Amino acid sequence: MGFYVLSYLCIAVFIIATGCLIYRQLSFPLHVRWEIYPVRHETIARVAYGGSYMEELNWWGKKYKSSLINELKYMVPEILFLRGLWKENRNLWWLSFPFHFGMYLMIATFALLLLHAFFTLWGLPVFAAGGSVSILLSGLIVVTGWSGLILGNIGSIGVLYKRMTEAELRNYSSFGDYFNILFIFLFFLSAFITCLFFDPFLAGAKAYTLGLLTGGHSLNSYMPGQSVSGSLAIVSASLLVAYIPLTHMSHMYMKYFLYHDVKWDDAPNLPGGKIEAAIKNNLKFKPTWKAKHIEADGQKSWKDIAAAAPKEMK
Amino acid sequence: MNTSLKPSDISKPSDCLCHIEPGELSLLPPPYEDFNQTAIPPLKPEKIKNIEASLDDTVAIGIPKPASAEEEKELVHQFLCGLKKLFEKENNWTFLQPLLLSMEHCAKCQTCSNACPVYEMSGRKEIHRPIFRAEVLRRIYKKYLKPGGKITAKLTGDIDLNWTTIARLAELSYRCTLCRRCATVCPIGVDNGLINHEIRKLFSQEMGIAPKELHEKGTVQHLRVGSTTGMNPLAAKDSAEFIQEEMEEIAGYKVEIPWDVEGADILLLHNAGEMLAWPENVGAFAIIFQAAGISWTLSSEAAGYDAVNYGLWYDDVQFSRVAVKHADIARRLKVKKIVMGECGHAHKALTVIADRLLTGDLNIPRESAMVTLENIVLNGKLQFDPLKNNFPVTLHDPCNMVRSMGIVEPQRRILRKIAPRFREMTPHGVENYCCGGGSGFAIMSGYNFAEWRNLVSSRKKFLQILNAFEDEPQDVPKYVCAPCSNCKGTIRDMINYYHAEKRSGLHYGGLVELIVNALAGMKKPIIRFGEKPSWEL
Repeated sequence: MGFYVLSYLCIAVFIIATGCLIYRQLSFPLHVRWEIYPVRHETIARVAYGGSYMEELNWWGKKYKSSLINELKYMVPEILFLRGLWKENRNLWWLSFPFHFGMYLMIATFALLLLHAFFTLWGLPVFAAGGSVSILLSGLIVVTGWSGLILGNIGSIGVLYKRMTEAELRNYSSFGDYFNILFIFLFFLSAFITCLFFDPFLAGAKAYTLGLLTGGHSLNSYMPGQSVSGSLAIVSASLLVAYIPLTHMSHMYMKYFLYHDVKWDDAPNLPGGKIEAAIKNNLKFKPTWKAKHIEADGQKSWKDIAAAAPKEMK
Repeated sequence: MNTSLKPSDISKPSDCLCHIEPGELSLLPPPYEDFNQTAIPPLKPEKIKNIEASLDDTVAIGIPKPASAEEEKELVHQFLCGLKKLFEKENNWTFLQPLLLSMEHCAKCQTCSNACPVYEMSGRKEIHRPIFRAEVLRRIYKKYLKPGGKITAKLTGDIDLNWTTIARLAELSYRCTLCRRCATVCPIGVDNGLINHEIRKLFSQEMGIAPKELHEKGTVQHLRVGSTTGMNPLAAKDSAEFIQEEMEEIAGYKVEIPWDVEGADILLLHNAGEMLAWPENVGAFAIIFQAAGISWTLSSEAAGYDAVNYGLWYDDVQFSRVAVKHADIARRLKVKKIVMGECGHAHKALTVIADRLLTGDLNIPRESAMVTLENIVLNGKLQFDPLKNNFPVTLHDPCNMVRSMGIVEPQRRILRKIAPRFREMTPHGVENYCCGGGSGFAIMSGYNFAEWRNLVSSRKKFLQILNAFEDEPQDVPKYVCAPCSNCKGTIRDMINYYHAEKRSGLHYGGLVELIVNALAGMKKPIIRFGEKPSWEL
């Protein structure tokens, strides 16, 4: 039961920490535009060369268009396949891709395991033992699971080796950076050993996931502790889930904000719109910068200060 | 490759953290091999004895050395106060979210390094990696501002905070041109250029530390006198009068430059440097607008005849003051729109950044001159004879106009129509390389900074220009079209420094000069290779 409690706690930490990360992003004051082209939600024609709506005569008289589909067309392959790295840093991609894709495959495997557990609990006829859906799902779990573990192990060893041996990476790496990779490697290795020697068809993983949904009370639940490596895999996977959102590794999904909210935020400030309202609020902030030329006293707002010429030089 | 330095080494006192030896810079091709052994001229000891100069071979700011240990301590304290404010919405709502995202998600993969022309051209010196200064700030932030940071620093990356660290970091923030190529290639979206921009802001807004050219002679003079050039409104009008006379003399075209026309369709904002250094640019705009029958005006109000906004590079407050001034002048003139002349950073400042600052009737529509000119050139109102521009032309893409605004094609469509021998640089458009004068470098020349710029930060652009014309004989005059005053100034300096007019036939100028040169009815060419204009005689 202790394993299940640990997993529940870690999942709770993940949900709370990720929720806080996202809430923080949504609650920041509107920042000034700092987009960089190509902005991927532009029209396909403009994206091809990095153009913007500001290339049009009297652009403010035309409707601002932004295509989320065009954004996702870029963002999804970027997140899944690291295509920016493929284009700009191919040597690293060969190691970073298996490392990241291995993790994505493990997430996909967990999603399939959850689906499997739901089907089992619901006892749907279409999922009867030996049925085609059951075989297909079980097959998929094995394929994604094994692929993820193989890629993840190769990737972890690769990125660890690269970071340790190349000065340009090593000189900027801290203990924490190595720890993160080793932590992930510990999970991949322990899960790989478990599958290789004890559970090639991931039956234990299926049973543990089922146990997660039933508090470990289902008859088919996995009883952890049957192998050291299996226990280690469960513990390290659970802790990783909690740990990732607390570190820079959350870039896997926080990348969305870096792209959508900054790199591609080209929304113009149109009279009477939401952006204008947000700017008016921002201009009420009272800065306390100390350089004399700022002339901030904690009472004057940004609006007051921006409207006045400085009396002091420094 | 010098990879021995680590971010934490910035705090270790030494005379020079990073020195470039002759021969270490990226090699230039023939006939410029003689520059391959050129070193940055050493700083004279008597000139730097009272200022901080321990970062590298040059000085951009010239921060006075603290007189005592107490003063050093106080400056370190001020730095930390400023750093804290960078992460407060009251003080930094302008960039808080982008800054935090970039501070917290870097994977230190070094993809940014290969995109940085300064890093590459410097002979891959460690301090010029885009991540170097970002990592220094990140470590200070984590260690000194995060709860428990002094304990966790041993795990997350340690750094000592002392006056040496701070003085070097201030200088180092003026070794990056803010071209943001690094941000374009980052797979995560981290923007080391932005972090550099924030470092500059911290020093200016909290400690009053910034290069004189940007602050005292820049934004302060702009707001006080009317222009960073020092021109007051009367001098600006005198310049325009001179330009009218010169245009009649040079091009045989009588032009009237309208001032303060209330209700005009367009308020044209020039970089005032054009009036002094390249008056033909101002004149060419006037000829085109007049010939096309455009309703337009210049403003003679202080700051209204100078589009620049140096605050963009180092200080949000000064930026806001200049932007508000520009918008207010347009509001009172009741113009329909502001058109930004050939000045890249002014484009980005007033069109993009100030877009989240100007509200109500200050939010006057702003348009790039590239767009306005494209409409004039391509709509058939004016007749052109492209063969008048029958010489090799290449186009420089100003980072602020192209990568930061997406104004890419209008200028190209114009060139395709009026310059039959136009060819692109490699790479170009949003992947362009900075001229080397970005973020204020074009106007910074104290100590030996101009030499550093010519040798290091402009080197990549120089190589690109040479490559664009490599199929042309040496004696054929070639035109580098740079529709941005600061880029133009940098390219002028680079051509002079490398004797490239003599050795490669390189000339430079703006876009409007090429347009006027190709106008069918003009009596005389405005572009005359090898002839010095009257204002340079």
